[in-house]
Amino acid sequence: MAELREKARLMSSQDLNRVIRRIAHEIVEHNKGTDNMILVGIHRRGVYLARRIQKLIEEAESVKIPCGELDITLYRDDLTTLFEQPVVHSTRMPQDIAGKNVFLIDDVIYTGRTIRAALEALVDLGRPALVELAVIIDRGHRELPIHPDICGKKVPTSKNEVIEVRVAELDGKDEVVICERDA
Amino acid sequence: MSATPNEIGQIVWRHRNVIDLDGWSKDELYFLLDQARHMENVMDRPIKKVPVLRGKMAVNLFFENSTRTRVSFELAEKMLSADVVNWSVSGSSQAKGETMRDTAWTLEAMGADIVVMRHGAVGAAQYLASKLKRAIVLNAGDGTHAHPTQALLDLYTAWKHIGILEGKKIALVGDILHSRVARSDIIGFKTVGCDVVLSGPPTMMPKEIDALGCKYEIDPRNAVKDADMVYLLRIQRERQQDGLFPSIDEYHRWWGADAELLSLAKPGALVMHPGPMNRGVEIASEVADGNQSVILEQVRSGVAIRMALLYLCAGGAR
Amino acid sequence: MGKILFKDFRVFDGRCFIEADHVLVENGVISEIGKDIACGDAEVVEGSKDKILSPGFIDLHAHMRDPGEEWNEDICSGSRAGAAGGFTTIVAMPNTKPAVSDASLVGYVAAKGSSSGGARILPAGCVSKNREGKEMAELLKMAEAGAVFFTDDGSPVAATMLLRLALLYLGKRQPRIMEHPEDSGLFKGGQVHEGRVSALSGLKGIPAASEEIDVARGISLVRDTGGRIHFTHISCSGALALIREAKKEGLDVTCDTTFHHLTLNENAVINSGYNSRYKVNPPLRSPEDQAALWEGLRDGTIDAIVTDHAPWHMDEKDEPFQEAPFGIASLECAAAVVIDFKNRNYPEFPLELLLSKMTSSPASILPEKWNGLGVIKEGAAADITVLDLERTRIVDCFAWRSKARCCPWEGIALTGWPIMTFLDGRKIWQDDEEI
Repeated sequence: MAELREKARLMSSQDLNRVIRRIAHEIVEHNKGTDNMILVGIHRRGVYLARRIQKLIEEAESVKIPCGELDITLYRDDLTTLFEQPVVHSTRMPQDIAGKNVFLIDDVIYTGRTIRAALEALVDLGRPALVELAVIIDRGHRELPIHPDICGKKVPTSKNEVIEVRVAELDGKDEVVICERDA
Repeated sequence: MSATPNEIGQIVWRHRNVIDLDGWSKDELYFLLDQARHMENVMDRPIKKVPVLRGKMAVNLFFENSTRTRVSFELAEKMLSADVVNWSVSGSSQAKGETMRDTAWTLEAMGADIVVMRHGAVGAAQYLASKLKRAIVLNAGDGTHAHPTQALLDLYTAWKHIGILEGKKIALVGDILHSRVARSDIIGFKTVGCDVVLSGPPTMMPKEIDALGCKYEIDPRNAVKDADMVYLLRIQRERQQDGLFPSIDEYHRWWGADAELLSLAKPGALVMHPGPMNRGVEIASEVADGNQSVILEQVRSGVAIRMALLYLCAGGAR
Repeated sequence: MGKILFKDFRVFDGRCFIEADHVLVENGVISEIGKDIACGDAEVVEGSKDKILSPGFIDLHAHMRDPGEEWNEDICSGSRAGAAGGFTTIVAMPNTKPAVSDASLVGYVAAKGSSSGGARILPAGCVSKNREGKEMAELLKMAEAGAVFFTDDGSPVAATMLLRLALLYLGKRQPRIMEHPEDSGLFKGGQVHEGRVSALSGLKGIPAASEEIDVARGISLVRDTGGRIHFTHISCSGALALIREAKKEGLDVTCDTTFHHLTLNENAVINSGYNSRYKVNPPLRSPEDQAALWEGLRDGTIDAIVTDHAPWHMDEKDEPFQEAPFGIASLECAAAVVIDFKNRNYPEFPLELLLSKMTSSPASILPEKWNGLGVIKEGAAADITVLDLERTRIVDCFAWRSKARCCPWEGIALTGWPIMTFLDGRKIWQDDEEI
């Protein structure tokens, strides 16, 4: 496994939290209010981001939006080519998603395959009325026709770079950094 | 062996074939139980299917009759979207004329990726695994030697109720000598740090119990005392014909689990059985149907554990 | 016939190493032993300090499967296999199909055995008619036809009454009874030694008591009848102890153990993942039993080492453990197996003691006619094996002269091999690399 070397900091804690706040407001705007919606965070970091967005919407609108977690491991299209099996995490929906407006939340969108798997998983869980995607970073290099509806920041990257959205709950601090794989 | 995920959340799962639980580490066992929990969630969804094994062929090769285990594996395979073939062979391979070697090569020629086998001969699963080049083997029971998936589902069921099993006591009562379930459970529960105590008629105990690393209490009341789990093994009627015990009634009176025996265990102790039960022999109905019994839950656990095992052993590239 | 001079060898005479280093063979007989014998017109075989000139090895117990199951082995392939293993005399067990329990079949084995181009094959006959364990076979006729042992091997003599009668009938001058010590009821269904491995694996165990009970039975009857008995393939320390006591008491009781029981134990079954090449009857026993067997060699309780060569066609033996037949085939590597094992595990064990149990000691258990085998002595038959203690070779069953194609030592490098074998002064085998 190649070593990852931190190259630069793209967002400080303040920057990241501003972006998350903006995304929360945009979600309510897209939904035209707070009715009939559900936030779904994609494991792992998407889950923490979704909870923060839930809290921010509650602060702004005094409504607690239902928030679920989605693990897409079992729907990945690259499983048969991996020599090491990804760890499966939990999938928990507080409500039936049928007929609801689902807002998928993830940290970074890259090839789009994770989101494809997430859509397949959602469809097996029920039939949402609509699905929209919100991400913190769009790093380009899409391999499927999938695009975020709400985006924090677009950052062009090369294929041997990695963007890490770090959250205090998991990584000890909030920030976004770009790393490079050493050969 | 490390069962902790690396930084991108992948585990190095080193088992391809699952023949027995010999040499499995505590970390590996707990990791598998954790993954099984997520698989059990799939069983609750409206669409009980995930595409993990899509395009892979699973062959259930059963030389011994067993509807329960076979169906459990079949459900697990289908929920993971595998293509399933059920191949039942009645009688030994010799009676049929085809050697196991030829059966193995036929399966590979047909494109099998996974072979789940139950056979009456000790060492059969190991033998099959040595003959196959590509497909993996999951042992659904080889003679009196091992039944690893049963032990894993027993561990999973116990863990769901009790949590961390270190230091807990489990009493295994019955025909240990002829039981592959017992042998695998002994290894599994000891590995996670349980105190395993055996009981049953001396004619049904292996001569060198020390080799198994457990204590033997001829009186089941001593084995069950303060146990957190009471596990009853099936008594086969043929054993009575072999002269190992004189009558079903005598066995039941001395070693059968009734409410009185169960009262000696810890309050709320789990009652477990691999099924199918012989009511009135090794277990009284009042206990089998009582609120401490997790026997039906074991059945459900079986599908989840088998799904987790299939995912980890057969889900990836090889 | 030719003259052969064996020059500059360490000479083992069947009991010990002797001062001489030259041996001259003429007309199939050892004519002179000494230092610096002139070679004259003799063919010379050169030795060295690592090469031992030994009497040809004698195997008292091997299965030729002939008549009846010649796809597994036959007298010719078995005889040639023996020669390639340094054996010059082999006793063929009578549990064939049909069983060798009458003089005509004894004659068949004797005739085929003496013309097969390899080791000398001596026939054994059954104690009971058709090996059914009920009625006595025509023992005297069979002895006259050449039988050197009477045995129902594969099974103990079933009826105790029959064993007693046979012991009385044969007395002290006829070939011995070779008893396969086992209690049929305790053995039934068994697969491995009853102990650690059977506990862990679930395979049905054969208790040591099975062997001890039958040895005790045989000893009691010898005491009762004044007859003589030979117990074959002893594997348990308990049985060995009984035989030791019987010998001290002065009873005419002899016994042998196998090359595999000396060099393997039950752990091999689990360590190999239940590979059927370790399935044998009597089963591989505990490490303690294995050590007791070496003690038995040391103190003279054990009189001979045998192969109990049990060849099976690959189709039959390559099965899961529980379904495979019992038996280890080892004629072509047995000597190397035990010499290599001794050097690694018991380096202080005298090589001459080991070799004597393969030569002069087994010869003394054969009928009088054959007692002169197994020695290098002036006037003795020139049955000679050249042993190269430095030779290292990998066991390759697929190159064997035997029809058997699997054994526990396949692919293993061993050191200490026979490289030439002579029967009655004629070379019956030579290691290819020696040419």
